[in-house]
Amino acid sequence: MQKRTFLGEMELMVLLAVVRLGDEAYGVPISQELLNLAGREVAFGSIYAALDRLEQKRFVTSLLGDPTPERGGRAKRYFRVTPAGVRAVKMTRTALTNLWSGIPLMEGRRS
Amino acid sequence: MSRGESNPPRSAIWLLRHACPGSHNPALTGDLVEEFHEGRSRGWFWKQVLIAIAVGLLGEIRQHWPHFSYAIAGMAMPAFLGKTIEVAPAFFHWWVLPWPWSQLVLEWSPDALLALAALPVLAAALVINGAFRWVSLLRTGMICLALIRLEHYLPDVLPWLLHPMAGNPHLRILIIPPAFAMLLFFSTFLVSAWLGCLSPRHANALEGQAKS
Repeated sequence: MQKRTFLGEMELMVLLAVVRLGDEAYGVPISQELLNLAGREVAFGSIYAALDRLEQKRFVTSLLGDPTPERGGRAKRYFRVTPAGVRAVKMTRTALTNLWSGIPLMEGRRS
Repeated sequence: MSRGESNPPRSAIWLLRHACPGSHNPALTGDLVEEFHEGRSRGWFWKQVLIAIAVGLLGEIRQHWPHFSYAIAGMAMPAFLGKTIEVAPAFFHWWVLPWPWSQLVLEWSPDALLALAALPVLAAALVINGAFRWVSLLRTGMICLALIRLEHYLPDVLPWLLHPMAGNPHLRILIIPPAFAMLLFFSTFLVSAWLGCLSPRHANALEGQAKS
């Protein structure tokens, strides 16, 4: 049986933010995306820790942009989802949907 | 806003660069600086730096948990073994051995017992992690023994740690705060495990475990 790798909550949220942002996925927009869409203010350290894990699992790749003055001459690190990352997101969604279905309380019906 | 307040705290940036484990520190620093220039406060900046350091350290512990297990076990060994350490040389009948073996056994056997007693914990952790190698254990034990022996020479290197004993000015004893002694011991075991298990194959195995 093929070994499956599921994503933790933070990893899933960060990975989805990276997918949504496309070519503009670096720390600041990822943080804003999590705040605007998930309503969670996540510390940058936690975002980068999740990105580190995702990169180790080869679900994202990263590349450095050009240094900019407003960042004190530091470059942005852009992240991009890999095909393995897309598969992992889909697998996690399937698993969660399966768990979700058939629970009357979650579907708005009273048991 | 004064010039000082318009720039992010330099000490926080220094701390982030030197105390935060992780491969993306320059990018993280850049993001924090960018947010700071967008109007975030210095308090926010410090909070982010401290969280990043804490998260980074937790990640390191998670990735190298066999080493930390060995360090914790090693730190607890003196309390666990108790008087056994002091009587360790007697097991080998050091007094019947010719010099220099008698001296060697008398001085080294308590330290060797300490270094070796915690090794089963490292072995078990490496087995669980799928990264067990006899050579790593052997190397860790030897490095640990060497480092513990080196600590005995601490008073020679740092004589100011020795203070005259009350009631007997000719006798000088080593005065180290207990917390510092514990930290030193913990670090000794941690460094030993880190160096002992440091080989390309071993590092890859540990990394592979962390990935899965």
